[in-house]
Amino acid sequence: MKNILEVSGLNKSYKDFSLSDVNFTIPEGCIAGYIGVNGAGKTTTLRSILGLTKKTSGSIKLFGLEMERHEHELKNRIGIVLDDGCFYDELTMSEMKNIIAPAYTSWSEQDYMNYLSRFSLNPKQKISTLSKGMRIKFALALALSHKAELLIMDEPTSGLDPLIRSQLLDILTDYMNEGGKGVLFSTHITSDLDKIADTIIMINNGKIVFQEVKDALLDSFRIVKGDTKALNEDTRKLFLSLTETQFGFTGITNHTLEVQNCMPNIVIEKSTIEDIMLANINGGKE
Amino acid sequence: MLFHLIKKDFLIVKKYAFLMLLVSILIPLFVLTVTPELPGSVSFFISEIFSIFMLLQFVSMKEYQYPKATSLLCATPYRRSTIVASKYGFCMFIFLVCCLTYLIDSFFFPDLGRFSLEMISITFLSISLVIGIYLPIQYKLGYEKTRFFFIIIIMVTPFLLPQIIQFNDGIDMTSLVPSVMFSLIALFSSLIFLLLSIYISVKIYNHKDLV
Repeated sequence: MKNILEVSGLNKSYKDFSLSDVNFTIPEGCIAGYIGVNGAGKTTTLRSILGLTKKTSGSIKLFGLEMERHEHELKNRIGIVLDDGCFYDELTMSEMKNIIAPAYTSWSEQDYMNYLSRFSLNPKQKISTLSKGMRIKFALALALSHKAELLIMDEPTSGLDPLIRSQLLDILTDYMNEGGKGVLFSTHITSDLDKIADTIIMINNGKIVFQEVKDALLDSFRIVKGDTKALNEDTRKLFLSLTETQFGFTGITNHTLEVQNCMPNIVIEKSTIEDIMLANINGGKE
Repeated sequence: MLFHLIKKDFLIVKKYAFLMLLVSILIPLFVLTVTPELPGSVSFFISEIFSIFMLLQFVSMKEYQYPKATSLLCATPYRRSTIVASKYGFCMFIFLVCCLTYLIDSFFFPDLGRFSLEMISITFLSISLVIGIYLPIQYKLGYEKTRFFFIIIIMVTPFLLPQIIQFNDGIDMTSLVPSVMFSLIALFSSLIFLLLSIYISVKIYNHKDLV
């Protein structure tokens, strides 16, 4: 399966933050969840991919072509949903569309009207009067009406109610069903990724912590609960993060078999992406 | 693409565009009423510089207010160079509209004087010099820091212009070269200067990190 997006050795330095040697790939047909806490480097990575910020070094390839050299051509194949506030509020949706649409060589007015109809959006409505959910739907309509093959979304579900988040996930599923597509979806609301992501990429302090297939990732980590008496210097090393109270401990491990062998009276539960994310953040270690 | 981006600038300041159209019609008449001794070219220049810079400031203000909208545009296949060029195109379009309004004014108020090619070319050269310096600085420093530059231009122009006119009368360039030739040289110089300014602005904007 060919890669839609390949990021390798991406570096970007600011005064107080830097992306360090970011590497990941998104194969065709994959929804990749890009997770990390606020300030971890998710938006900086996406902005570097989109050419909004100049990378210090590294390579960004889309569909096998170097972004720097084929920027115009490649941007025609990307749909973008940025976080809130990326429209001129005083304009109507129709006016905003008239600004964006001419940029794309394969814009489909029919697709756009279909999306507006599906989302129950009135093109004559002013953007300032749209709710957060409607704005995201409008952004999606713009992003998906030019036959985009890669959809890049920066925190699209943040601040949305569960119903709209669920609708958004349905739209993504439909989009992926068309075939030959890919999605890079940055978020810190990991519960959405539990439902739709195929791959999880985690970034922390500007460094990639892991890129794993979601099911394999969820299988490899377990939440372990037990009596603190079972903890000693050796068993503590088996945990990625550990929280102790007077009633017992809760820890995250990816050495489940060893833990089971060393600590007989424990409860093992499935972990969520959020549990794994927090366990991998240095601050989660206590 | 350039046309759509120029249209975008007018769309985001549509509330002020009509007002500025009225202003461009009224300024020459106002100057004629208050200081009839001033030549029509002065009122034409004031009308041009006021309309162009006011609308340009409104556009910059809106872009400053919605920085992510600019990021969205740059994330689409619009080239940054086209986005920069559209800003100059926007100014040139206002220049043409002001020419038209002045032409209409001078038709109904002959005291404004003859609307000549020489007058257009000198004003175009002056406007090109101001825009050509202002826009690269704005791309480099941003809207906030360059607002004062704009205020200085607007405040100083009515006071400085008569002095320049007097100085210009003393030299009378048209006695040195034929009027048409002088106009062509002025227009050509303006275009060269604008192209150079666009080149510098594009260089600056291409290296700018967007929000």
